[in-house]
Amino acid sequence: MDEQPGLSEQYRRASAWPLFVALGLPLAEIGVLFGLVPVAVGGLLLFVGSIAGITQESGYVERPWNLLAGLGGVLLVLGAVLALSQIPFSAGALTAALASNGLVVRGVSIVIAGFVAIGVGGVGRFVEPQSV
Amino acid sequence: MANEQIALTLLMGVLLVAVTAFLTRIEDWRSYTPLAGGGGGTAEESGYAREEKPGGLIRWLTTVDHKDIGMLYGTYALATFTIGGLMVMIMRTELLDPAATLIESTTYNGLLTSHGITMLFLFGTPIIAAFSNYFIPLIIGADDMAFPRINAIAFWLLPPGALLIWAGFFVPGLMPAQTAWTMYTPLSAGVGAGTQSGAGVDLMLLGLHLTGVSATMGAINFIATIFTERAEDCTWANLDIFSWTILTQSGLILFAFPLLGSAIVMLLLDRNLGTTFFAVEGGSPILWQHLFWFFGHPEVYILFLPPAGLISLILPKFSGRKLFGFKFVVYSTLAIGVLSFGVWAHHMFTTGIDPRIRGSFMAVSLAIAIPSAVKVFNWITTMWNGKVRLTAPMLFSVGTISNFIIGGITGVFLAAIPVDLVLHDTYYVVGHFHYIVMGVLGFMSFAGLYYWFPIFTGRMYQRTLAKWHFWLTFVGTQLTFFAMLLLGYLGMPRRYATYDFSIGPVEPVTALHQVATLGAFLIAIGFVIHVWNFVQSWSEGPIIEDGDPWNLRETNQYTREWQWHHRRMQTTIADGGEGDEEGEESRFATDGGEVDDADGDGADDANIDTDADDSSADTDTVEN
Repeated sequence: MDEQPGLSEQYRRASAWPLFVALGLPLAEIGVLFGLVPVAVGGLLLFVGSIAGITQESGYVERPWNLLAGLGGVLLVLGAVLALSQIPFSAGALTAALASNGLVVRGVSIVIAGFVAIGVGGVGRFVEPQSV
Repeated sequence: MANEQIALTLLMGVLLVAVTAFLTRIEDWRSYTPLAGGGGGTAEESGYAREEKPGGLIRWLTTVDHKDIGMLYGTYALATFTIGGLMVMIMRTELLDPAATLIESTTYNGLLTSHGITMLFLFGTPIIAAFSNYFIPLIIGADDMAFPRINAIAFWLLPPGALLIWAGFFVPGLMPAQTAWTMYTPLSAGVGAGTQSGAGVDLMLLGLHLTGVSATMGAINFIATIFTERAEDCTWANLDIFSWTILTQSGLILFAFPLLGSAIVMLLLDRNLGTTFFAVEGGSPILWQHLFWFFGHPEVYILFLPPAGLISLILPKFSGRKLFGFKFVVYSTLAIGVLSFGVWAHHMFTTGIDPRIRGSFMAVSLAIAIPSAVKVFNWITTMWNGKVRLTAPMLFSVGTISNFIIGGITGVFLAAIPVDLVLHDTYYVVGHFHYIVMGVLGFMSFAGLYYWFPIFTGRMYQRTLAKWHFWLTFVGTQLTFFAMLLLGYLGMPRRYATYDFSIGPVEPVTALHQVATLGAFLIAIGFVIHVWNFVQSWSEGPIIEDGDPWNLRETNQYTREWQWHHRRMQTTIADGGEGDEEGEESRFATDGGEVDDADGDGADDANIDTDADDSSADTDTVEN
């Protein structure tokens, strides 16, 4: 840029993703901290989705879907660990705990976000005809 | 409850769909400029030059250009400074008389907390980031920051952070946090009287956490940029002083802010999920103080070192001489950076910690006076025998040195345990650190804004207004903060909305509070003038057609960012229509000293040049 200011104009200096990475993180934090399931799920999805998008845009991955699914897997594991640390592994216990145990609610919301991310990543992986 | 959940779900769904739609639209726009940023550019794409950045609002929402992000940081910091300033004006007005006549004490506490956090985290760090983002890549000859997108993410975390920090004021049903910026437990853990158990504090902590994440991302970026992106001719030996201070500051951020983030998460867990990190029966409230101040004291230097770098950068330009003792200024910066991690417990002398520990922390705290004094003496010596031009940035730099001397020396007193035991939690401490945060950081922010105004805008500010700004700010600062030092000597405790001291017939405490309030109003008037000057000059100021508005070539200090500015001017296609301001231009454009030069005699100039040459003999290699 310095040496030939005219030439520098060719570099791309815009990206739509940072704004949404930065929006997803606070929404995810608020949602998880206060146990607001929709906000937690939406925020986490926005966050991991934008991470996948910005990574793809930067050229670190060719397509975002594998990364999105992978991040979804991480959320799934983290959420499951959080929820299952509170209860024995059974559907009945889970349902009962959802009404009473805040940590389980938070864990499950993270798990939901993970599931959706894996779903979107998986579907995108096979549906998308070419890289964006 | 179920309805709320459904509404929230709908809201989030709409948000996600809107984001996706927006991104799809942006991607459409991207489809005809298919070059991915990470892939670099080639000459063939020059036809897309105009599409490098979209126009209008979208440009600012999507930019990853370090200069644009610097502008965003600067705009954000000026906005938050205004808000933090309005908060303190309400507080100072309330303190005009002893009773709670204007606002309730709970409101005062909320304003006090938000003022501190706003000024430190939402103004201080961002205004420094504004300068460093814009200029570090230019100064070291880098194309951009090492990670432009992370740079943008770091900025965009700040607006949500600010909204969360202030949420208690404008979200119905919430109380603003009243924990003070130090957030001491057990108060901030929501126990005790229970006034701090509301979600307003949680949101404030989340906001603070976000600003910490933002600062850490920025710091990593600066370290990577300065280490790896320098131009070939920019070596460690001739790296400029501002880059050194930003590098040191970034190192401090890297070690300090993650600790703050961790401590905040622990506090949030204590508040919401029943952990006992800071409970009396658990890790103890004192643990919070240790963790907080292990972050908090380096934070002071995070906010001090870059402005000190700005003094070292700007002062020589208007003294006609190279920075005296460049190497020692760098060494003192590094020394302060290291020592800053060894002094945290001097904030805790009155907590009953082991006296032997107190003694060692006192010693290290006093030791910081040495590198600080090295800086001060080098700055004074730089001006000594120089051709001093009292431009607005120079006035602010010189004013900063005097403020730093008062702020620094009061700090030496406070570092001494016996003095601290008396003055702890009084206005003396408030006066002391405001001499640093307002007197150094605030002043040098203004100095930087004036010094680089021609680069930001291509125009010159109005000299007279700038000098009004300086003198109002300088006098106001002395009135306000020196009065606070005296209030501290009289035993006035900090953080109180009301006071009731009658010492003899004249009531000195009330009088000093009124003096402090008067000073605050002077600062506010000065700031209004500054904003007016900035905005008006930006749109109507005389166009600068000289790439060297400060006459830096004369003293061989025409640094890289000005060279870049000059090249930009040469390669920018003239937009025309500015000829009518020629007359004004010659009048305004000379805050750099052409007029002053004309006033001085030739012999002086010759002497100065000689001085400059002499002093540059041993520093040519280190100051480009």
